[in-house]
Amino acid sequence: MGKTIIEKIIARHCREKVTPGKVVWVDIDLRTARDFGGANVVENFRRNYHEDRVADAAKTFFAFDCVAPANNIPYANNQQICRDFAQQQGIKVFDVDQGIGSHILIDKGLCLPGYIAVGTDSHLNLLGALGALGQGMGDVDIAFAFKTGKTWFEVPETIKVVVKGKLSPPVSAKDLTLAVLKRLGSKGALGKAIEFCGEAIDSLSLDGRITLASMVTEMGGIVGFITPNQEVLAYCRARAGKEDIEAITADPDAHYCQTIDIDISGLKPQISLPYYPSKVANVDEVEGERVNSIFLGSCTNGRWEDFKMVAFILKGKKVHEGVMFKAVPSTREVYGRLLKKGLADVLFDAGVILTSSGCGGCASGQVGMTGEGEVQLSTGNRNFKGKQGAGKTFLVSPATAAVSALYGKITSPDKV
Amino acid sequence: MILKGKVWKYGDDINTDVIFPGKYTYTISEPEEMAKHSLEDLDPAFASGVSKGDVIVAGKNFGCGSSREQAATCLKYCGVGAVVAKSFSRIFFRNAINAGLPLIQSADAPDRIKPGEVITIDFEKGTLTCKQGVFTFPPLPEEVMGILQSGGLIPYTRKLLGTE
Repeated sequence: MGKTIIEKIIARHCREKVTPGKVVWVDIDLRTARDFGGANVVENFRRNYHEDRVADAAKTFFAFDCVAPANNIPYANNQQICRDFAQQQGIKVFDVDQGIGSHILIDKGLCLPGYIAVGTDSHLNLLGALGALGQGMGDVDIAFAFKTGKTWFEVPETIKVVVKGKLSPPVSAKDLTLAVLKRLGSKGALGKAIEFCGEAIDSLSLDGRITLASMVTEMGGIVGFITPNQEVLAYCRARAGKEDIEAITADPDAHYCQTIDIDISGLKPQISLPYYPSKVANVDEVEGERVNSIFLGSCTNGRWEDFKMVAFILKGKKVHEGVMFKAVPSTREVYGRLLKKGLADVLFDAGVILTSSGCGGCASGQVGMTGEGEVQLSTGNRNFKGKQGAGKTFLVSPATAAVSALYGKITSPDKV
Repeated sequence: MILKGKVWKYGDDINTDVIFPGKYTYTISEPEEMAKHSLEDLDPAFASGVSKGDVIVAGKNFGCGSSREQAATCLKYCGVGAVVAKSFSRIFFRNAINAGLPLIQSADAPDRIKPGEVITIDFEKGTLTCKQGVFTFPPLPEEVMGILQSGGLIPYTRKLLGTE
C-alpha cells in the first residue's frame, strides 16, 4: 500500500517500519527553543545531562519571539539564560530583533520540504506549509532533542481535506482557514495529520499556506501538509542557496482514515467568536459590534501579504477615533520591507501603532493585551479566555481587521 | 499498578491556559508552587481540595492549546494519579507521558462517572471501575508504556542508555 506524506517523512528519518499507530524513534533535522520555554529547556538540559554538549549545535537554534524585546525581568532573565547557554554550546540565537522563530526557519532556508523540526512552539507545525513536519513539544522533550537529536513519535493516521472552489478578494486564506476550522471543529483532526489539496489550496501563496497550516493546531491536528508548488520550491531553493530541493508527495494509493470535501465557492468573510477559535461565524452575523482595538500580526497573519492588504485598505484613510490599531510584523524582514517600501508611512498616517517584529499579543506578549470589557479583533490564531488579557478577542483576516478599524465596529470587508 | 481516587470532573476542550496559566510559566517553577495554581482559571477549588491519587475525568481534547509542559507537570505535582478523558491533545499527551502522568482514553467512561465519586483503575488489566460499572481501556503502545512505567522520558532513556 502507498504512503501518506507524514509516513514518508518519518520513514526517511528512522530505521523502523512506519505504520500508523506505531511509536518510532526519529532523527530530527532542526530543534529550536524560544523565550517561552527556552530557559526551562536549558534548566532541563543542565539538570539531566550536566555539562554535556548538544548533539549538533548547527542543527540547534534559539529564537526569541514571545516577549521581544523583554518587557519584564523574568523574561529578560530567561532570554539571557538561553544566550549564555547558546554561547557555551556554539548555538545560533535569533535574538529579540529577528521575529517569529517558525517563520525564520522558512525565510532563512533552514527548514526545507521533508524536514522534521521540533521546538517549544505549539504552532511550529505551520512548517507543513512547506511540506515539512514541524512539531511543538514541552521543555523536557526539547532538552532531550537538543541532547540526542532524536525524539519518540507516534505515527498518526492522515485525513485528506479537499478544498474546492476559488478565493476571491477580499475573502482570503484566513477566511478559508476559519471555514475549514468550522467544519472540522477543535477536535476534528485530533491526533491526526492532514493533507490539504484541491484547487483552492493549489492557488495559495506561501504566505496563505502558512496561514492555513498554522491553525491545524486549533483543529487538534498534529500537522497539516500542503504539497509545495513550483513557487514554494523556488522560494526554498533561493533561500537555502541550493537546487536539489524537491517536494515529498503522497502515493496515489496512500491510505487516508477520512476524506473531507469542503467547497468554498461563495464563502463570506469569517470570524472566530470568543473564546474558541473553532466558534466560527460569518462576519456579517456579528456586524456592528463596537471594536476597541485591533491586533495585526502573529505566525498566522503577520507576513508581507497580510500587511500589504491592510496598507491597501488603510491608504489615505484614518483608523476610527478611539480604536487602537496595533501591528506587529512576524519577522524583521517584513518589518524592514514595510519601512523601506513606504508601507510603514501609509500605516503611520492611518494611525497604526507599528512595532518591531515578534509574536506580540497573540502569545501574551507586550503588544496586544486587552483589559476588562475591551473588544479586540486579532489576526492571530487563539482567543482562549484570558489568553490576551481580560477582554474579548475575535479572530479575523487582515482585511476584516482593517475595514473594521475604519468603522470602529465589526464590519465585513465585502461590503465596502 | 492499581489506583483508587476521587473524581474531579470537567468538560470538553480543557485548554492549557486554564490548566496552568501562561503568566506563571516563567515566574514559578517550584513543584509546590506550581501545584497551587493548577486549574486556577477553571476550578478555583481544585488546587486546595485535590488529594494524592485523585483522578481528573474530562471530555474530548483535554490539554489543547499551547505546548507548555507545566500543564502536565502541575497536575503530577498536585498529586493527580491519572487523567481519564474521551481524547487528548497530542502535545499534552506527550508531555504527560514524558512526565510520568498516566492517561486513560475512554469514549464511554467519562459520561458515566460522577463528580466526587471514588473510582478504581487497574493499569495492568486495563479496567476502570466506577459506580456505573466496569469499563475497559486499551493498553498504551509498548514504547509509551515503557516511558510511563520508568517514571517519564528522562528515567526511561537513562535506563535505555544503561547509565542508571
